[in-house]
Amino acid sequence: MTVKIGILSVAHMHAYSYASAVNALPGAELVGIADHDQARAESAAKTFATRAFGSYEELLAADIDAVIVGSENVRHRPLTEMAAAAGKHILCEKPLATSVADGRAMLAACKSAGVQLMTAFPCRFSPAMVRLKSAVDNGDIGKVIAVRGTNRGRCPFDWFTQLDQSGGGAVIDHTVHVTDLMRWLLKSEVTEVYAEISNRMFQQEFDDTGFLTLEFDNGVFATLDSSWSRPKSFPTWGDVTLSVVGEKGVLTLDMFSQNLVLYSDKTGGVSWSPWGTNIDELMVAAFAKAVASGSPLPITGEDGLAAAAVSFAAYASAKAGKPVAPEVVL
Amino acid sequence: MFRVAIAGAGGMAHMHASCYTANPNACVVGVYDKRPEAAAEMAGANGATAYASFAEMLEAARPDVVDVCVPTPWHVDYVVAAAEAGLKGIVVEKPMGRSVADCEKMADACAASGTPLFVAHVLRFFPEFAEAKRQVDAGAVGNVVTVRTRRGGSFPRAWENWYGKPDWSGGVILDLVIHDLDWLRWTFGDVERVFAKGISPKLPPASEVNSDYALITLKFKSGVIGHVEATWADPGGFKVGFEIAGDAGLLESNFNQPAGVPFVAALQRGAEAGAAVAVPESPTAVNPYYAELDHFLTCLATGATPSITPKDGCEAVRIALAAFESAQTGEPVVLP
Repeated sequence: MTVKIGILSVAHMHAYSYASAVNALPGAELVGIADHDQARAESAAKTFATRAFGSYEELLAADIDAVIVGSENVRHRPLTEMAAAAGKHILCEKPLATSVADGRAMLAACKSAGVQLMTAFPCRFSPAMVRLKSAVDNGDIGKVIAVRGTNRGRCPFDWFTQLDQSGGGAVIDHTVHVTDLMRWLLKSEVTEVYAEISNRMFQQEFDDTGFLTLEFDNGVFATLDSSWSRPKSFPTWGDVTLSVVGEKGVLTLDMFSQNLVLYSDKTGGVSWSPWGTNIDELMVAAFAKAVASGSPLPITGEDGLAAAAVSFAAYASAKAGKPVAPEVVL
Repeated sequence: MFRVAIAGAGGMAHMHASCYTANPNACVVGVYDKRPEAAAEMAGANGATAYASFAEMLEAARPDVVDVCVPTPWHVDYVVAAAEAGLKGIVVEKPMGRSVADCEKMADACAASGTPLFVAHVLRFFPEFAEAKRQVDAGAVGNVVTVRTRRGGSFPRAWENWYGKPDWSGGVILDLVIHDLDWLRWTFGDVERVFAKGISPKLPPASEVNSDYALITLKFKSGVIGHVEATWADPGGFKVGFEIAGDAGLLESNFNQPAGVPFVAALQRGAEAGAAVAVPESPTAVNPYYAELDHFLTCLATGATPSITPKDGCEAVRIALAAFESAQTGEPVVLP
């Protein structure tokens, strides 16, 4: 069976990568793209050789099995609710929601409509991460004691730094990926968050810097740097790293370290050309496969909300100047 | 020619001794250690005399300078005794002391007798760290927003497993990353508050461990946010690195380069790793340990003020112990 997929908004740059992944995937078809910015929908549709629909309603009324929500963060909820009401399975960009209430509403809408909701956490599909998880599961480092993580990037600006569209700056944008990896790896929930947050990189209203400390319910402690601290001149977009410290050893992950280094007189700079596996393709393939077979999606909406709740707790901690417990969402 | 007597004959004492022996303006004249055979071995290697007691060494060796390289909790005893001996100068290995009170006691005793006291925060003499401070001061990355350091490797084995006794060594937070805490304070100014998690602070008194790990978050008065990783739990070899991110660039050493190896497993093999403490080396024309001790001797000869003061040593300990306390209480600790 061919899984027919529509894309609800390409506001997020990742949506372009997902569109490309759908096109590259045998057994999947990109039926069309809709966006509240019609020109953006048409431009993207042209790029991916698909149809631009005139509205979200029109695309949801078409013959599709599933949608990918790639909008601004605050539109995740209404688009997910619309798709659920139309009976479509959903792959939603992270962060799942900008509040616990929105996230819960999304989960409820999908449940009552009988559709599945997956949060776009492609890092779980990284072959290096899969290898790391199997080493932990295999007991190679014994009991895990601590985890040190980073997910830094350049500041994306655009709607990402408009708080009424994004719900937050660097912390909401970059906390969720690695928090999800930690939850998945440790099979454990975050019980406490302490955060130092600042906006000194750009001196704007949005936060650009976040250093989080997390406690998990199995006693593991962790830190996570979720800052937009890579300068424009940095040779790549950013990083995802983990160092997992156990009683019998240390496992380190530098997820995007498979690069050539290019010194170019054309650009006058140094850049890294990635040669590693395209994890967006693996994630979209897993989504399409589960939709086709009617089996459970590999990552849930609950996973997305639990990770987002950690970012909300980070903001609360920075405001209070002390550790806070994230809202229990499950 | 400065006559140097050294208290302690462990790993760092050997390093300091070899630096004095290599220095044309110094010679090692005495070595004292609780272990007579260790003292004799190090004295022999440096053409010095081994003594059966510290008091006897102060008396008989007629030192100009005493260098204290005993385990941390006893720094205060040796430094205070040396301060009353009418010396030209005293060197104390980092961390300056096991408590802020001990550090203040040493500073006060040396001030009272007019004896210059140098805290051996050698990191300031490691060229990459010195150059990083110069670059930061010159505005190379603009206004600094974040700084991250990492340091550590496998667990250090030493006399009486004293590194493994947090009551003695203070674990990785006090013994290991005091280096980074001093360099951070030197480069980014005073710390406003600290939040930390770690293994050894959560242990009951009189515990003994064979590994340690801590993650420390620092908020500096300047607004800079810092993160310090400290490990004695990594069998993958000793690693040191840092990155400094500002609003106009990023400066790093051994931190973000693409290795093309996204997954590394460093696993413990066998029960006991190698002996002694890993001493990082930086093969440049001048050994940083030599440079720090030569700096102090030069100051003593010229009357200049050493670049590291007793207050610096004391403040680094204060930050480290604040991190230790935070890891114990689970709350951020605000510094005075």
